[in-house]
Amino acid sequence: MQKDQILESLAKAVLEYDKERAVEGAKKALELGLNPIEALEKGLARGIREVGEKFARMEIFLPHVVMAAEAMQAAANVLLETLPKEEADKLSAGTIVIGTVKGDIHDIGKSLVKTMLSAAGFRVVDLGVDVPIFEFIRKAKESKADIIAMSALMTTTIAEQRDLIEELKRRGEREKFKVLVGGGAVTEDWAREIGADGYGSDMKKAVEEAERLIRGG
Amino acid sequence: MVSFWEVLDRAINTGPMLEPNEFDMLIFRKTSELAKEHDIRYDPNTPVPSDDSLADDLFEAGLKLYLETGTYCINSHRQIKFSEEEIKDALKDVPSKILIGEGAEAKWLERRDIEDRKEPLNLGGVIESNPQEGEIFVKLYQSIAQEKVVDGIYFGPSPTVEGRAWRAGSPLEVHAGRCAASWVREALRRVGRPGLHLITACPSAAADIATCDPGNGIRISDAIAIPTTTELKTDYDSLAKVAFSLDYGCYRNPYWLPMIGGYAGGPEGAAIAGVAGAFHSALVCQTRISGFNNAGAILIEPKGVQTDRRVIWVTSLMWQALSRNTNMIGGMGVTTAAGPGTEMMFLENAATAIAIVVSGGHITHGIRKAVLARPNQGSGLEPKFQGEVAKAAAGLKRADANEMIKALLAKYEDRLAKAPEGRSFEELYDLKTLTPKKDYLEIFYKMKKELGELGLSIE
Repeated sequence: MQKDQILESLAKAVLEYDKERAVEGAKKALELGLNPIEALEKGLARGIREVGEKFARMEIFLPHVVMAAEAMQAAANVLLETLPKEEADKLSAGTIVIGTVKGDIHDIGKSLVKTMLSAAGFRVVDLGVDVPIFEFIRKAKESKADIIAMSALMTTTIAEQRDLIEELKRRGEREKFKVLVGGGAVTEDWAREIGADGYGSDMKKAVEEAERLIRGG
Repeated sequence: MVSFWEVLDRAINTGPMLEPNEFDMLIFRKTSELAKEHDIRYDPNTPVPSDDSLADDLFEAGLKLYLETGTYCINSHRQIKFSEEEIKDALKDVPSKILIGEGAEAKWLERRDIEDRKEPLNLGGVIESNPQEGEIFVKLYQSIAQEKVVDGIYFGPSPTVEGRAWRAGSPLEVHAGRCAASWVREALRRVGRPGLHLITACPSAAADIATCDPGNGIRISDAIAIPTTTELKTDYDSLAKVAFSLDYGCYRNPYWLPMIGGYAGGPEGAAIAGVAGAFHSALVCQTRISGFNNAGAILIEPKGVQTDRRVIWVTSLMWQALSRNTNMIGGMGVTTAAGPGTEMMFLENAATAIAIVVSGGHITHGIRKAVLARPNQGSGLEPKFQGEVAKAAAGLKRADANEMIKALLAKYEDRLAKAPEGRSFEELYDLKTLTPKKDYLEIFYKMKKELGELGLSIE
């Protein structure tokens, strides 16, 4: 099997949400001596980018994106296992702790952003819904996160986002983490008012903002 | 008959446990299979389909979905599942009409047929239009209640109370809920309609329960709105609202909005999940005893908008399926992309109202802009227009409505992602006389004229 064929099969496995085939493809790539970084970037990542574009055009739906991201993650783990830890860490776009704030049980927007962040190469720690601010901070420290991302759908829960930022300040740890906010009730003005570092008005913007924050923009 | 206490036992103690993402993917797998099995296909050319067999197929698919999934309880991670016999038994109990409101404002809210000549009721107002607390809140709701074409009002608390922001589940929310109920009652008294039907919609059970007060709050002729988290999920707060309302005696108003592009998949899957929501309503929310429903669909992007062609197709087809196969009473409210004071909001308002009415529904949750840009983004003129369009659409044939809606969609659908923000109540109304300002009235009459040109004559 040629190198190009392998890269193509990796992209296709992600595009067809086929975890098994993606993992097999990754193993095959290693057997044939392909550079794992090249297999990741020119194979798997190409597939997931196309998945994201198809979702934006509503040709596919949220569960497809979830399945594609799972296929990519499983295959990426196979490729990254072969690299020294430091080198593998360098390949990660960054670590993000994400959740829906306390009092709010809305899951879909947060899950969508989580999936797109994983697809963009971030290591994402999903805390679920109804998450207290102390849990965000505890997990962010534990996982050495770069970014804390909070979603709030209701106007009556967005104040939790301000509380988290204030708590980080109180602890003298505001500079340790970038804070990204989003969700149905959140506006750019609100993000500015509470001093958040980034605002994701939709899933695409959330990923762009996360990338900007990691670049130090 | 499965009692509500048995429903709670399944939710809390005995239902099968599942991870949330397993439940989400189960929904997706089943809706995809069922859409294929029943050959349910979205057709952009017929936002209002006239195919009865398609509606019946959708009903069957919705029933099969609910048999597999039941309702998922977010707190306990349990499925509340029912047998086919239990579901059919509950559907037989669902009342086909209920008496809402009191005194001179008492009205029968009845199930409607497809293309029914019987006029729908117009329950709603401006949903949560970000109203400020106090006198301005009263005036905003007064502007709605003074419109004779309004048959009931849905309301939630203002974002602040006593000058303080409240949070869901907090004691301040309880106070905010009680204040909002008393302000709406004051608005009703000022327009001489103290018995008008009300629907309370606080996030937490504690606050909704606190609004219940036979004198100055929610009465037994009123309703408590009961949310369903997308898709087919409930929680302890919603179940507590059901438990309390059964004891207090007011109506339950469950609502559910499948998300197009979400876990149910495309429009076909959302429509199947939409029908399944009706079984959740009958059994988990106990509308088998009394109540009415608000159901349609929403989009992922633009956030929460309900006036897109696919949403109209889902809403129309699911209400046709329910009208043909059950006694369920209900309809939908409308969440628009454009704000009040714009021509586009009237166009969006009309397209969805017509679709709901010819498909067997009422206007149940009024109208609002999806993403509010500022406080007080609503006024009496939007629900007035919505009610007038809805009542004029009674008796229309689906095929005629379809053409009308396509003509309306052509005027706004390419602007849904970049819709105009609109204005606030203070900008649109003279607050002293509580009448719409001249420029807003001109838009209102212009849009009625445009509808007349499309064949919908409004008195």
